[in-house]
Amino acid sequence: MPLDTSTTYPLTKLRLDGRRWNELRLLQAQISTNPASSGSSYLSMGNTSIMCSVHGPAEGRRGDGGSAGSGHAVVEVDVNVAGFAGVERKRRAGGSDRQSTRIATTLRSTFQSHLHTYLYPHSTISIHISVLSADGSLLAAAINACTLALVDAGIPMPGLLCGCTAGMSGSASTPRDPRHDELDPLLDLSLPEEQELPSLTVATTTVVPVGENNMDEDEETMKVSVLSMESKVHATYLETMLAVGIDGCSQIRELLADVIKGSRR
Amino acid sequence: MKSLRRDLSANPQAANVTSKVYVRSLKNGKVQKIVRELYLREDIPCSSKLCGQCPTIAPADANGNIAPFVLSDRPAGTTAFPRGHYLVPDTNALLNGMDLFEHTGAFYDVIVLQTVLEELKNRSLPLYNRLLALVKSDEKRFYLFFNEFRRETHVRRGPDESINDRNDRAVRLVASWYSSHLQQSIRKGKKEKAIPAIVVITDDKENLRKCKEENVTALSLSDYVSGLEGSDMLLDMISESKDARDSKETNRGELFYPEYYSMSKLKTGLGAGTLHQGVFNVSPYNYLEASVKTASFDKPLLILGRDNSNRAIAGDSVVVEVLPQDQWKSPSTKIMDEEAVTRNDNPETEETEAVVSERERKALQEEVKKAHGKTSEGKPQPTAKVVGVIKRGWRQYVGHVDSNSTGAQSSGRRQQNVFLLPMDKRIPKIRVRTRQAANIVGQRILVTIDAWDRDSRYPTGHFIRSLGELETKGAETEALLLEYDVQYKPFPKSVLDCLPSEGHDWKVPVSKEDKGWNGRKDLRDLLICSIDPPGCQDIDDALHARVLPNGNFEVGVHIADVSHFVKPNNPMDLEASIRGTTVYLVDKRIDMLPHLLGTDLCSLKPYVERYAFSVLWEMTPDAEIVSSNFTKSVIRSREAFSYEQAQLRIDDKSQNDELTQSMRTLLKFSKILRQKRMDAGALNLASPEVRIEADSDEVGDPLTDVKTKAMLDTNSLVEEFMLLANITVGTKVYESFSQTALLRRHATPPPQNFEELQNQLSKKRNMELDVSSSRALADSLDRCVDPKNPFFNTLVRILATRCMTSAEYFCAGAFAESEFRHYGLASPIYTHFTSPIRRYADLMVHRQLASAIGYEGEDGHAINEGVATRNKLEDICRNINVRHRNAQHAGRASIEYYVGQALKARGEKMAADGVDAGIEEEGYVMRVFENGVVIFVPRFGIEGVVRLEDFVLPGESGARSVAERRELVPHRTTDFDNEEYTLRVSEKGHPEAERSVTVELFQKVRVNISSVKEEGRGAGKRRVRILVTQA
Repeated sequence: MPLDTSTTYPLTKLRLDGRRWNELRLLQAQISTNPASSGSSYLSMGNTSIMCSVHGPAEGRRGDGGSAGSGHAVVEVDVNVAGFAGVERKRRAGGSDRQSTRIATTLRSTFQSHLHTYLYPHSTISIHISVLSADGSLLAAAINACTLALVDAGIPMPGLLCGCTAGMSGSASTPRDPRHDELDPLLDLSLPEEQELPSLTVATTTVVPVGENNMDEDEETMKVSVLSMESKVHATYLETMLAVGIDGCSQIRELLADVIKGSRR
Repeated sequence: MKSLRRDLSANPQAANVTSKVYVRSLKNGKVQKIVRELYLREDIPCSSKLCGQCPTIAPADANGNIAPFVLSDRPAGTTAFPRGHYLVPDTNALLNGMDLFEHTGAFYDVIVLQTVLEELKNRSLPLYNRLLALVKSDEKRFYLFFNEFRRETHVRRGPDESINDRNDRAVRLVASWYSSHLQQSIRKGKKEKAIPAIVVITDDKENLRKCKEENVTALSLSDYVSGLEGSDMLLDMISESKDARDSKETNRGELFYPEYYSMSKLKTGLGAGTLHQGVFNVSPYNYLEASVKTASFDKPLLILGRDNSNRAIAGDSVVVEVLPQDQWKSPSTKIMDEEAVTRNDNPETEETEAVVSERERKALQEEVKKAHGKTSEGKPQPTAKVVGVIKRGWRQYVGHVDSNSTGAQSSGRRQQNVFLLPMDKRIPKIRVRTRQAANIVGQRILVTIDAWDRDSRYPTGHFIRSLGELETKGAETEALLLEYDVQYKPFPKSVLDCLPSEGHDWKVPVSKEDKGWNGRKDLRDLLICSIDPPGCQDIDDALHARVLPNGNFEVGVHIADVSHFVKPNNPMDLEASIRGTTVYLVDKRIDMLPHLLGTDLCSLKPYVERYAFSVLWEMTPDAEIVSSNFTKSVIRSREAFSYEQAQLRIDDKSQNDELTQSMRTLLKFSKILRQKRMDAGALNLASPEVRIEADSDEVGDPLTDVKTKAMLDTNSLVEEFMLLANITVGTKVYESFSQTALLRRHATPPPQNFEELQNQLSKKRNMELDVSSSRALADSLDRCVDPKNPFFNTLVRILATRCMTSAEYFCAGAFAESEFRHYGLASPIYTHFTSPIRRYADLMVHRQLASAIGYEGEDGHAINEGVATRNKLEDICRNINVRHRNAQHAGRASIEYYVGQALKARGEKMAADGVDAGIEEEGYVMRVFENGVVIFVPRFGIEGVVRLEDFVLPGESGARSVAERRELVPHRTTDFDNEEYTLRVSEKGHPEAERSVTVELFQKVRVNISSVKEEGRGAGKRRVRILVTQA
């Protein structure tokens, strides 16, 4: 029986994997990993690793409903969690489970509104995500991988969309006690932490500064575009968690920007 | 396609990431391989106040706080380590000596390694929790060092290295790192000499050897302790280590008990239904007889004799196998006391003894004969034997050393084995190795059981601490509290910090704009009063009644608003949830909530404004409820009455003020309500309760303080309205939270529970007990009257109560609605709402009700804690059920002890006058055994076993002393009729009726009660002796 966060964290302020509360896991990424696609990326956050490839914008399939005629490109997302991704090997009968469907839905609506889809009327952008190994923060990692692959594909967007998770250690189901106001938020949760603590996923974007405004980029231009939470937490903790998550997103943004810049070099 | 291999060379941080790989086996037999990342770092402080380096690198947490450094700059030393030392125990040391580490006299400045903590968690969860508690408390200066995450001390397991070796290596590495780190980083100005030694404590011989090789100071636990002051006592606190036991086993191959089945065999058997699991439950009258209630059978299985019990101890969760039918027996009809049967055992030698001593075997044979002699009544019952133990229910036991078992030459410091006789009769003697036998004789001792091996007739344990002299008030009270697992330590600071900062000056805010008034009704104008036992400080409830304009009445029950002061999940709430209930002893109250709340701020004291949670009914003059309403409120109680005062006021015709009028209304309604309840089939049960008014006078006879509880009309007035409030609230809470409402149920007892009593009644009194429903039972209990014996009815009620199951808290989702019924109260739903100061369940219900009525609290945030998660609630229910039962037992035991002491005091006074006559009282026969009876004495609420020697036969000399009476046993003979429940005691060779005594069940007898000192057996032990003087 390994130790768990809720008992040891208050004593040592060290998380199960040795991180401090505000540290990201090791994030590594590459783009253009799959030359056969329009854009592709490989991203790992800790032991969570994801491959993403983008096809399109391509001509929309016939009979694709009303949206194809609306003058916008349609984003399709397909998420596949490999059978060997988790601790236990699962043999899936082709279909997708609830978790991957939910991630796919979130990603679709996120990028549908994030990308400048009006530039590609009557076309489809399809994104394929393969989760090679899952160790927490799946949605956040998938958002980051998508962003990289979409950049690689050259699809215009207002800024990098970066996702991150934040959790809260301690008893987060009760309101804050003003006299014991010690919050223990955690950044970028791994799987054991995610199972144990309430957490949320947040993704932010910035408008890439252009022209004169280039110099005064500040926090004001940052925009939360995804916020997803599947656990219960008392409302009084939400603000702190959100602040920590947003801070994580901007850390990730720098890392992703480095990846993109590095690959051009 | 690009390579996706992780390329770590480019990233400078990546070098610090490593991973931990381990395998986990699942219940279904599969094996999982788990990979976890580890981020190695250099900012984990050593936490020594000597260090000049670490404070600069120690990182802050999310709130910007840096954890304070723990290890003292002047650590305690011993003669071997004059400069002081930091201790680094390994897992084995903690497993063997946790009691030592908790000892307040030594073991300060301990570095607990993450490696060790994790290993300990795998080996023993209770010890792990105790270690965590030590780390959390400040005074012992335990520092939890996460060595696996510090780059310098991280250890990778070698290819051929066992996990144990790796962990040992990690411990050594930490020790050497600490020494060199302290050398380098010691604060300037401190002399070199001041650097404390780092001492590894390990019981592993191999590890000790390697430590020597690597120049790490290491000692075994016993070697280290030997160097401390008071080492004799401390050495006794080490568990007998496995090694020592192993070596013993090889020395003597003699095994007394059969081996347990393997785990897989148990699992298969349980799955196939050939083995059964249940809790091992020892009979209070016969230590060789136990029963195990299993899911597959209605009646519990019997387990007879030591062989079949096979090292199980009361409370263990065991697996049993049914014995072949020819070994089935009837339950014993004999009282057997371990102390009496095995008085002469020698704790040192075991070579000569068999598992079942000759005497025990004889006793058992006689019983088999008895069982086989009869066919009709004493039908043989299925018996079983223990074949495995799933979980030990061992705890710490309080007892005293059997003075006979200490060797004659107990003067020296030689280590010897002694027997400890636990207070709990159902626990076998415990063999304890001690060096201080001479000192601990005649004291109350706390011990724990370490093991019970096959080659040992008794379990082995070790000494933890002494509570003090036997029969001193402090020691006996503490013993009681420990034995019933009552948390009696003072509230820690973290709990007291949760109290309002105003302290006793706290007042209901004057301004109604204050947030404290949010959602509260102003009920200060109502004429509210409280009625409680005299001297009651924690007033939970108050009442009022008034006429409404429409001719109906408004009746209100106002309960202290404890949930206002105790916010969910703060330290005070957690402490209260662990304590579960306030425990009332004769001269002491162990509070669930701190004094300030219980007796002042929450308590609905008269003449002051208090927050309350009110239940208001509109009732017709016939006490029909028109509507009910719940609200948080502010009240001002007009008067706090005792039951007697209230009764006097109501009866006093001259008093006609409004308050008295409203009390009369309440009384009138309560009578109607009571009648309704009785009509619905509520049981009027009886328990042998007495009350002690200890504070009356010091000089007088303490026995006069023992009062049987009088039932006044006002008692039942309060009771009825509390019941009504509980029922109303239960209904409301269940309506709102169908899954998570906290309710209380009393299961309908299975009819076979009553079989024995029904049988006894029909045989002895020709009476019927109809148990088909609670109504039928109530009616038939009413018919059980003996005109010549007014107490008979109460006796039957007491016995009937014992046939029932006990009521329990549960969470609504756990049972079907039809099973919510409270059998005793004949109510379809019930909960506890009215005593939040002294019961945690009520506090939970308060929160649930607040949530149900949409009360938003002071800050506008609705608190829905307690209605959210069923799992947590079920844990709470489990705990408070246990605590509730323990509290009752502790209270009863306390009264019993008080009565014993009162008798003793009386006896001593008498003895000064030259006669020790005891006290003459009436008693009733409750149970008849083959060699004795159980007598209940209503005057003192005690029941006691009367053995053969304690029957005073006609024409007997009347010797009184215990020793003299014991001489009588061999000359006595009995004639026991199991079917007629009679026992005739006579002298051998004198069977004439006029020289014998015959007692039968339910019979009223004259008894002589005195407190006698046990001689020959456990020295200094007292018991209440009952002599039957006249049948």
